[in-house]
Amino acid sequence: MATEGANNINPDDLAVGCMLSIRTTLGDEFEGHVVTFDRPSNILVLQEPSKPGPRRNIRLLKANYIKDFTFLGHAQDPLDPNTCFLDLTALQAREHVAVRQAEADAERIGVGVTSEAQSIFDALSKTLPVRWDKTVIVVMNEVRVSSPYHPESVFGGTPAANDRVKKVVIIFLLLCYDASKCLYLWHVKYHIDCYSSMCTRVACA
Amino acid sequence: MMNLQQIGQPKSSNGYGRWKSEKEGATKSDNKIPSGKSNASSRLPSTGFVTDNKVGSYGTPSHDRLVYLTTCLIGQHVEVQVKNGSIYSGIFHATNTDKDFGIILKMARLTKEGTLQGQRSGVEFVSKAPSKTLIIPANDLVQVIVKDLAVSRDGLPSESHYDMQHEIMVDSVISQSRHVEIGRELQRWVPDEDDPQCPELENIFDGPWNRGWDQFETNETLFGVKSTFNEEIYTTKLEKGPKTRELEKQALKIAREIEGEETEDLHLAEERGLYHNFDIDEETRFSSVYRGKGVDDIGYDENEDKLLDSHNSETFGSIYDLAITRPGEAIGQKGNNGTQTWSNLSSADYSQSGTGVELCRSGSNDHAKQIAYELPAQSCSFSESRIQENSVNDLHGAIDNTVEEDWIQTGDVQLSKSEDLQSSLKLKKDGSDEGGLAHNEASRAPSTHILSKTPEETGSVGEKKAVISRGRLGSCTSGSDCVAASSGRGLSPSSSVGSLSSEKSTLNPNAKEFKLNPNAKSFVPSQTHARPRSPVSDGSFYFPATVSTVPNVPTMPMGIGVGTTFAGPQQPVIYNPQVAQMSSQPYFHPNGPQYGQLLGHPRQVLYMPSYLPEMPYKGRDY
Repeated sequence: MATEGANNINPDDLAVGCMLSIRTTLGDEFEGHVVTFDRPSNILVLQEPSKPGPRRNIRLLKANYIKDFTFLGHAQDPLDPNTCFLDLTALQAREHVAVRQAEADAERIGVGVTSEAQSIFDALSKTLPVRWDKTVIVVMNEVRVSSPYHPESVFGGTPAANDRVKKVVIIFLLLCYDASKCLYLWHVKYHIDCYSSMCTRVACA
Repeated sequence: MMNLQQIGQPKSSNGYGRWKSEKEGATKSDNKIPSGKSNASSRLPSTGFVTDNKVGSYGTPSHDRLVYLTTCLIGQHVEVQVKNGSIYSGIFHATNTDKDFGIILKMARLTKEGTLQGQRSGVEFVSKAPSKTLIIPANDLVQVIVKDLAVSRDGLPSESHYDMQHEIMVDSVISQSRHVEIGRELQRWVPDEDDPQCPELENIFDGPWNRGWDQFETNETLFGVKSTFNEEIYTTKLEKGPKTRELEKQALKIAREIEGEETEDLHLAEERGLYHNFDIDEETRFSSVYRGKGVDDIGYDENEDKLLDSHNSETFGSIYDLAITRPGEAIGQKGNNGTQTWSNLSSADYSQSGTGVELCRSGSNDHAKQIAYELPAQSCSFSESRIQENSVNDLHGAIDNTVEEDWIQTGDVQLSKSEDLQSSLKLKKDGSDEGGLAHNEASRAPSTHILSKTPEETGSVGEKKAVISRGRLGSCTSGSDCVAASSGRGLSPSSSVGSLSSEKSTLNPNAKEFKLNPNAKSFVPSQTHARPRSPVSDGSFYFPATVSTVPNVPTMPMGIGVGTTFAGPQQPVIYNPQVAQMSSQPYFHPNGPQYGQLLGHPRQVLYMPSYLPEMPYKGRDY
C-alpha cells in the first residue's frame, strides 16, 4: 500500500523488519529492510536486501524526503541486539587509518587541475616520484611540468631527467590519442631525435 | 544557503574523545556550519552499547538502534546526499545523536554536484581539495549511504570484530591499541588431533634408511614420475669392499664420540642430549645466540693446534722428509693399512676403504674430532697433503688409489676429509709456504716434470706440496707453472676442501662442491698423459679424452693451475688468458663436466673465457 508524502507516514508502516520500496523526493529509488526508524530525528535506517555475510549496505534516510513508498512485506529484524557490540577504540583507530590514507591519496590529487592533467600526473607517478605544487607537477623534485602539460611544458632538472619526463609525457599523449590532441602529436613529430621511435609509430598511424 | 557561523569549540564534553579529531578540524576551511548548532555534544554510546543518562531521555529502542548504527559508521567511507542533490564522499566522523543528527565527515569531497533539486549534473569538474572536515547540518541531510558495513558481531571480542572488518592493522595501531592485553598469558601449544599429514615428529630426523620411506617410490606411486636419480652422480660412489664393515664401524665410533662430547655450547648440548640444567629459560635454551668468547667450539682450535701439530709430526714426520726420503714409509705411515687399502681401490671406485685409509692415517680418532673443529678455522691447503700423498703415490705408481681416497673423503666421510685437511693443515704449518716455495724453486725444474705427470721425483714432492698450497691459496707467484701443475692436481681436493672450510679459507666460497665424475677413466701414468692423476679426481674438471700435448710442454705443467701463467705452445697458450684471470681463484669449479666437454677440442678452449670466465683453468686439452 503506497502512502502519501512524507508527512503522513505512519510510523507503524516503518516498523522494524518491514521491506519497503522507497522513492525519494530527489529521485532516488531503492528497496530496503527497515532496521530502525527514529522519530525524533526522523531518520529511517534501511538495510539493503540480501547481502550475504556480516557486511551490509546501510542507508540512513531522512524520512521527510520520502516521496512515497511501498510496503513489500515483513521480514525478520535485520539487527540482532545480542550481537551488537561496539569497540570504540577500534572504531577510532579505523577512522585514524582511513583519514591517513585519505590524506595520502589527497596528496596525489591536483587541486584546480583538469582531469587530463590528473591523468598525466597519475601516469608519471607510476614510475617516478611526483608531487603537486599547486597546478604544477613536480617530478623528482627537479623537473616541473606546468599547464598545458605538453612535452614543451617540461622544464628544469638535469637533461637526463628532463628528457625522461618528456618521454613519459609524450608516450602518455600518444597513448591517449584522440582528435583533440592531434596538435600535440604533430608537434611531437618535430622532436625526432629524441622520440624517433614514437614519432614513427604516430606517423604510420 | 549555508551560513558560515562561528562554531563553538567542539569539546568532548563527555571525555570520550570522540570529537577529538574535530577539534582540529572545526576551524578549518570549508566548514558548513549548521545554523545555531554547536555540534559539540555528541552522545555516542560507549563500548557495550550502554547509553548514558542524556541519551536515556531518548532511550527508545529505535533511537538506540540509530545511535548504534551511526557509531558503527565511524571511520567508514560514506556518501552523504544533501538537500541540493550533491553528494559528498568522506570518512564518517561523528554525528550529534542527541540532537537532530547533523553529520561530520573527514576528508570529504564533492563527488556529485546537484545543482537543483532533482537534477544531477555528472559533468566533469575541476578537482578540488578535499575538506579536512565537513559538517553537514541535519537540515541539509537527505541520506547517508554506506557500503559494506559490519553491523553486528558474533559476540567475539573486539579484536575479532576489528579483524572481521578486514582492516589493515597498522603497527602503531596494534602497539598502541588498548585492547591488546599487555603480557598476555602464553599457553603452550598443543597439537590438534593427529593430523595424518603431519610427519611424526619423533622420528622426523631419522635417516631415510631408518624410516623405510623412499621418496622416489612415493613420487612414482603418487604421480607416476619416474626418477632418474642416481646418487652416484652427485657423490662418491660407495664401494662395498671387504673393509666396509670395519670402516663403517670406525666411522660410527668417531661420530659417536664427537656427538657425545661435552660442550659448553648450550645448543649443542641440547642437541646431544647432554643438557641437564633446566633452570635457564626456554628462550636462552632454544633460541638465543650466545656471542661470548670461548663458548663456541671453535675455541678448541688453539688447544688442538698443538695437539695436532705434535700428532702430525708423529704421524707424518716432516713433510719433506716423508716425501722425499721415505716415500715408502710415508705411505705406510699414513695409513696403517694404507697399502692394502689402496690396492683395493680401483680408479672409479671411491670405496670406503679409502676413507678408512684416511681414518687410519690420522692415526687417532679423537684427532678427527678436533679436526672437525679446527676445520673452519683454517684455510686449507688440503691439496697440499693430497698432493703430497698423491705425489708419493705417483712415485709408487699407486696414483689411482691416492686420488680415490682423496675423493672418497669428499663424498662420504666428513671426518676423514677433515682429518686429511687437518693433517694437511698441519703439514702446511710445518712447512711454511715460503719454505716450501723456496724448496720448490730450488727444484723447480724437476717439479714441473712431476707435475706434468712424468714420473715424479721424490725430491720434488715437498716442493710440489708447497707449490700446490700456494696455488691453492691463489697466491701463486713463484713458479707459476709449478703452481699451475700442482694446482691442477689439487683441484679436486680443493673443491671438497673449499666446501669444508669455506668460511675461513681463501677458497671461493661460492664454488660448488666438487663432484666426481664416475665416468672418468682410471689414470694410468704414462708419458702421454697430461695428468698425473687418476682421471677420477680430475674427471669433473678435465676431459677424459685422449691425452693431449703434454710432451709438447715438457717444461710446462699442464696447468690446471689457477693463476698459472702458461707460456707454452698452443694449448697451454690458449688457456693462458683465463688462467691469468683466475689467478686468485680457487681451482675448483663445479662446472667441471661442462668444462670437460668444452675441452674436447683445442679450439673450444678459446671459448672458455666467455663461457666460464670465472672458472679456474682446469683446462687440459686431451
